[in-house]
Amino acid sequence: MAEFGATTQPRPKRVDELIDSELMAKLDQVDIMSRKIFAGKLQGERRSKKRGVSVEFADYRHYVHGDDLRFVDWNIYARLDKLFLKIFLEEEDLALLIAIDISASMDWGNPNKLVFSQKLAMSLGYIGLSNHNRVSLFAFNQAGVRPLVNLRGRRRTREMGTWLLDLAGGDRSGFNEAMRHIALSRQGKGVMVILSDFLFKESYEKGLRYLAGGGFDTFCLQVLSPEEIDPGRHGLAGDLRLTDVEDDDTAEITVSAALLRKYRENLNAYCGRLRDFCIRRDVMHVSVTTSDDIGALLLDYLRKRGLLK
Amino acid sequence: MSWLAVPAGLILAAVVIPPLILLYFLKLRRRTQTIASTLLWKRSVEDLRANTPFQRLRRSLLLFLQLLALVLLVLAIMQPQVQSSGRQGGKTIFLIDTSASMTATDVTDAPTRLEEAKRRARERVEALYGRGLFGGSWGETMVVSFSDRAQVACRFTDSKPQLLAAIDRIQPTHGESRIGEALTLARAYTTQLDPESNRPVGEPGTLELFSDGRIADLAEQVLRGERMVYHPIGSQEPDNVAITAISIERPYDRPAAVEVFASLANFNTTPLTVDVQLSVNDAARAIREVTIDAAGEDPVSGLIVPARRNVVFTPFEQPRAAVIEVAVLRDDDLAADSAARLVVPPPRRLKVALVGSKSFVMETVLTGIGSIQRLTLLSQQQYLAKVAEGAVDRFDVVVFDNYAPPPDQMPPGRYLCFGAPPPIEGLNAFGEGEGQLILDTRHEHPLFKFVDLDRLFISRFTLLQPDDDVQVLAEGSRGPVVVEVARGPMQVIYVTFDPLDSNWPFLRSFVTFLVNAVEYLGHAGEAISASSFTPGEALTTRLPPAAAAVELHLPDGVMERLEPIDPALLSWGPIRLTGVYFLRWSVQQTSEPQERVFAVNLLSDREGDLRPAEQIMAGEDVHVAGRGGSEYTSLWPWAIGLCLIVLMLEWWVYHRKAYI
Repeated sequence: MAEFGATTQPRPKRVDELIDSELMAKLDQVDIMSRKIFAGKLQGERRSKKRGVSVEFADYRHYVHGDDLRFVDWNIYARLDKLFLKIFLEEEDLALLIAIDISASMDWGNPNKLVFSQKLAMSLGYIGLSNHNRVSLFAFNQAGVRPLVNLRGRRRTREMGTWLLDLAGGDRSGFNEAMRHIALSRQGKGVMVILSDFLFKESYEKGLRYLAGGGFDTFCLQVLSPEEIDPGRHGLAGDLRLTDVEDDDTAEITVSAALLRKYRENLNAYCGRLRDFCIRRDVMHVSVTTSDDIGALLLDYLRKRGLLK
Repeated sequence: MSWLAVPAGLILAAVVIPPLILLYFLKLRRRTQTIASTLLWKRSVEDLRANTPFQRLRRSLLLFLQLLALVLLVLAIMQPQVQSSGRQGGKTIFLIDTSASMTATDVTDAPTRLEEAKRRARERVEALYGRGLFGGSWGETMVVSFSDRAQVACRFTDSKPQLLAAIDRIQPTHGESRIGEALTLARAYTTQLDPESNRPVGEPGTLELFSDGRIADLAEQVLRGERMVYHPIGSQEPDNVAITAISIERPYDRPAAVEVFASLANFNTTPLTVDVQLSVNDAARAIREVTIDAAGEDPVSGLIVPARRNVVFTPFEQPRAAVIEVAVLRDDDLAADSAARLVVPPPRRLKVALVGSKSFVMETVLTGIGSIQRLTLLSQQQYLAKVAEGAVDRFDVVVFDNYAPPPDQMPPGRYLCFGAPPPIEGLNAFGEGEGQLILDTRHEHPLFKFVDLDRLFISRFTLLQPDDDVQVLAEGSRGPVVVEVARGPMQVIYVTFDPLDSNWPFLRSFVTFLVNAVEYLGHAGEAISASSFTPGEALTTRLPPAAAAVELHLPDGVMERLEPIDPALLSWGPIRLTGVYFLRWSVQQTSEPQERVFAVNLLSDREGDLRPAEQIMAGEDVHVAGRGGSEYTSLWPWAIGLCLIVLMLEWWVYHRKAYI
């Protein structure tokens, strides 16, 4: 019997191990959905707050000095002898920011949480790229934030995959610091997806507050392994000294029904608190388990939760 | 609680328990397990600690259970036992009292005390064998019933049905309680002698006595290492009036009449007035109202001293044989002693021979005695001729008037001799003396009833130096004057002087003495009433040699056919019940059945005292069952059983991984 929580599956070595063509075909149908409308940088496929040059008519307004004469409605001028300007809806791109927790605690579990997060990030990023969104990826831990910013277009998929494959877990999470860094990095406002287990000894509130204050449409995908959700069923037994992979902190336990019950209660309470915190700040919280099928998760579950359409 | 093998248990505990604890310490070296985050675990452990005050104990529940199982094993090895009504193994003897007092009806749960005793004995059997191993017994039990005789109802066995059947078979008797024989029997079965040292080996058994404790010979018994448990039976307030004596006499002046005396005893602590009924052949003849005082209590022994009252019924004519019964007309707790019966044979007329009489005095007086049917005067030659014929035993009494037959010429019989000393060993006549007065007479002897010898002067007499077996009935100033020799069938009254050598013929006492002597000798061995038996005795009687089809009808209506081994002598027994027994037989020549009647009476003070003894002593204190407990029940099977349960619990807990 494998050791409790040890990763047995092989780590992905190639990009097509992160996302296969079948899933890619399915993901072509979906797009990232934002509950907010953000200002983009480049012209894209998304309605922007700005009035612009799309084909979709929005309104008229009086001409003022300096307006582009290309948008004057000459027909109106001919009838009324007044200059009116046609205003069109502007379509811009959407910024999709994916932050991956690569702390040591993520590199654990069977299936591995980090691998799962990599695959999920790959899929989400692919959706973003294929819909001409501006995709930025951040991998963070205590050591700092590794960015891969402003990918656009499907052809950047391989680059993104390679970057994801290079990620390796280690160190503590440094969540708050990382969030502050990302929020202030001026990578454009947009949909922010955080892939983490949110099991931080330091609190997560501060970091999430940065995101909420930064105007992101934030999705917290809490990735937990089956061992964390039901340790008793996955072979945690006996008298144990539990060692934290991040800080080598130890906890001596004797596994008992009561202890397992208490653990589950605590886990539920912890996740519940996180969810409450998120809801209050208009942040979407979604719990996912690494044993879930990524395709089903994306096409079904996340669609229902409003991240994808 | 006591422990039989403490050192063994301690040694085991020392050997086994420390390694277990050590093993646990070894086991508690925790395995290191890497985990994503200890955050929730730490919180859970803290919560669990905060919520469970006995956390430390609970955490090591398995250790606790295993320790408990070991401790139980150790306890089992120490063999604990508690005092209780149960008993550990070994030999148990149930002694069930079947005496008359056990037929008393003063118990509430059963018709009689004996039934109650049997019920309790059955309960004990159930307790000993009904619960199997956990009953604490795996020994053998024997059942002995005793009254004045002891009887083995069941030999040592561990079969419950056999014991129960044996207890059920026990029948009441009206005998006295005597435990000696029962103890001897019990010891004979329990004691095994080591052939080399000739000493008893093995543990003595436990005696369980089911009785009311009124045991006649208890003071003589000493327990030899046996443990005795006494189950007292009976209420402390019994009600009993008993007839403790009955006698019937025929007045000497009216041989056809009978006079009935009875003695009543009241064992109750309140004075009573009772009706006493005299019946003859089951027909009531007289009823007397009698008041008896309350019984007292002996301050030393604590025994009841019954108040007594004698009843004399007016003489009445009863020339024929009859069964006379005196009964107390009162329902008390013990019926066996409320009535007494005697069988009165028809008055018997005597045949008397007077040998060698030269004086008219003797002949005249004997002729005048009413109970003498025929007086035969024999000369010395005629007497010797009768001896030669073997016809002397046709006479009930032979009177020698100053005649001493030659030696070997006195066949067994009853003789009254005056003057010359008869040729009997032990008299040791050594010449003649002159002049003496009577100093002392045995007034209570029937010979001297109404006889006053104070004024008797003897001028010439034979000097005697009698042996020890010769009874001196009257002692004169110079030696024995009247002696009695009783040797089997030979009974002789010898008066050492010829009445003509004294002033006796002129005294009234001479006639009375002669009447007394002839009656005494003539009816020797038979009371005026046929002798009465007591329970426990054997009924013995002589039958005609041709008797056949002998039947004995018992008072409880049972008829037994007897096959006398010796046709002349019939013996049956022991007698169990009081009452009237009819022995019927037929002689082949005459088809008419013959009948003989026997009366069996209890007539015992000790059985009449129904109050059960609260405690009894037999050399040492006897444990009283059910009061404070005295028996031991082994607890080790319980300890083992508990240990198994704990082991199962431990197994379950282990598999649940829930060390709660």
